[in-house]
Amino acid sequence: MGLTIACPNCGADAVFRSAALPCRICDYCQTMLVRSDDGVRAVGEAAVLPFDVSPVTIGMRGMADGIGFQVIGRVRWAWTDGAWNEWLMLLDDGGYGWLGEAMGQFMLLREAPLKTARAKVLRDVINGGEAVPGTAAEIGGVKMHVADARDVLCIAAEGELPFTAPPGWRVYSVDLKGPGGECASLQRDGASATFYLGRYATLAELAPRGLRRFDGWSLPDYAG
Amino acid sequence: MPAELEAIAPPPAPAVRALNCPACGSAVTLRAAGYSVTAGCPSCGSILDVADPLVKLVTRYAEMTRALDIPLGTRGTLDGIEWEAIGWLARSMNGAYPWEEYLLFNPYHGYRWLIFDGQSWSLGETLTATPDFVTYDTLSAGGRHYRRFFKEREARVDGVLGEFYWRVAIGEQVITSEWAAPGWTLSREANAKEVSWSVARLLPPREIETAFGVEAERHPWPPPPHMVSPHAGWLSTCFKLGLAAMAFLVVVSIFMGGGRWSDIGALPIARDGSAQSVTVGSVTFGQPWQRVELRARVPRLENGWVDLDYALVDRTTQRVYEAYGVAERYSGRDNEGDWSEGSRESEISIASVPRGTYDLVIDYRGNRWIANNPGGWGQADWLTNGDSPEVVVEVRRGGVYFSNLIIALIFILIPLGWGFARHVRFEQARQAESDYDPIGVAALFKESE
Repeated sequence: MGLTIACPNCGADAVFRSAALPCRICDYCQTMLVRSDDGVRAVGEAAVLPFDVSPVTIGMRGMADGIGFQVIGRVRWAWTDGAWNEWLMLLDDGGYGWLGEAMGQFMLLREAPLKTARAKVLRDVINGGEAVPGTAAEIGGVKMHVADARDVLCIAAEGELPFTAPPGWRVYSVDLKGPGGECASLQRDGASATFYLGRYATLAELAPRGLRRFDGWSLPDYAG
Repeated sequence: MPAELEAIAPPPAPAVRALNCPACGSAVTLRAAGYSVTAGCPSCGSILDVADPLVKLVTRYAEMTRALDIPLGTRGTLDGIEWEAIGWLARSMNGAYPWEEYLLFNPYHGYRWLIFDGQSWSLGETLTATPDFVTYDTLSAGGRHYRRFFKEREARVDGVLGEFYWRVAIGEQVITSEWAAPGWTLSREANAKEVSWSVARLLPPREIETAFGVEAERHPWPPPPHMVSPHAGWLSTCFKLGLAAMAFLVVVSIFMGGGRWSDIGALPIARDGSAQSVTVGSVTFGQPWQRVELRARVPRLENGWVDLDYALVDRTTQRVYEAYGVAERYSGRDNEGDWSEGSRESEISIASVPRGTYDLVIDYRGNRWIANNPGGWGQADWLTNGDSPEVVVEVRRGGVYFSNLIIALIFILIPLGWGFARHVRFEQARQAESDYDPIGVAALFKESE
């Protein structure tokens, strides 16, 4: 977490700890460094997005519902006003799943057959329509609601992935939430669609090992 | 929506420029006077041109940050987790009811909201589960029941500073509605693309002051929707205690009701009206403390009175408990007919007599009433006529004074009534803010219009 930029005056590293900080003083030559990128241009008008603050990294291990996993890849998605991560988990049973990370919350998701997306709102989306947030949809006997529905853009991919995720790849994404923390995600790419089912989880219950470390923040108790 | 897709862009490439004093090249510092900030050179005293976009950016950020109750970058511990305030929002219902929200962040625990309505602070968290419908006016989330409080309204962002997990901008609008439970609120925020639910816990003033060093109103008025009446706790305890105390007192006064009258004896009254004294023993009282009642009857009393001086003398300690009684009765006939007043009986009591064995000393004297009876047409003289007169004295352990019981009940009821009135006033003020009709005690005492 932080942005390291070489001081244009003396060349020493200057670290911006917050994406919102427009300026800092170089520790070595005392020059005031002012960021001139888009991130801070709208001070007082619009918020800036944080630097990459994910505590997850490729190589992190953990337990998901009793099965060990290792994070081996990531796709970073963006929508008009934000971004989130989908981490690929290689499970010890040979399968794989996704660890979604949005707004500081985590989801364990596995791909589900498209025929389980029987609710009308989902079929409409698969057939090219749009979903309205708040719409109810019964999935596997659980009554869920559409939490968001929007166009998203793949902005970065790293590590191993089960598909190619080129930057600039656009899909229509619908997320659903249930009353017990169940969640589902439907992504439509042109004529094809992929369906994911799972639940919300806390980072603590994944018993993570190999969390990313941040300067100035102590590792949580659950990191062991 | 191709236009919108064009707007999705990777994060901007970082870029930085050095800002030195244009006059002498020295390092620039920020100077504050009140909330306004200037960038200036400490070496040569030059003030940098505020029209320069970089100077403007820096000074505007500094000015806005200085105006915040919690400067961005401040850390504090809530619920055992260290949080850093990284963003600030000013919001309102399109101009009305302004409030502020700080975004808190911990890389391992995600985000929380610190909400300030001008009086109280709450700690909010986005829900991962959708609330359950319970009844038309009640939702359940996280095992807590929330009752509807605010109808759907449009909320607007009036100011923004710092980092957020989405690019929130001034003017952004959502439809909000709110439900309340004791100590908690449940909010729904929706726009065309997203619906999100969150809960917020009202922070006790001490908790937020310790965590972030900001003041909170001790007695916010009107109370926020999720504030628990400060009177509810002690009132319910005191109500139970009061009920128990009243029940106890009533039981005690029944149980401790007087003992049976016991005869002391029929004492002859001297016909000549001279003073007499008699000592009767012994009288024993078993309770640690008791009221002692003494009753005297003079069956033949007519137009006269009997003075009775009682003295209870403790056989062990010789302590004396005294009381005075009188039985008096008058009668006659005037132009309105026969009349009588007074009573042939006298009943008095001595309070707080300790356990022990006593002698009862009675000094008494019979009196006749002759004066002021000019029409005396030979009325009966109760002392001399007929059999020799006598006074019958009885004693018993008395019960609790009934008046004492009433006073005790009043003393119990006064603070309860006062507290209940305050509780009702609090609930009425709290629910008056709601878009829905009052419920509970606030509905019982609805003011008629």
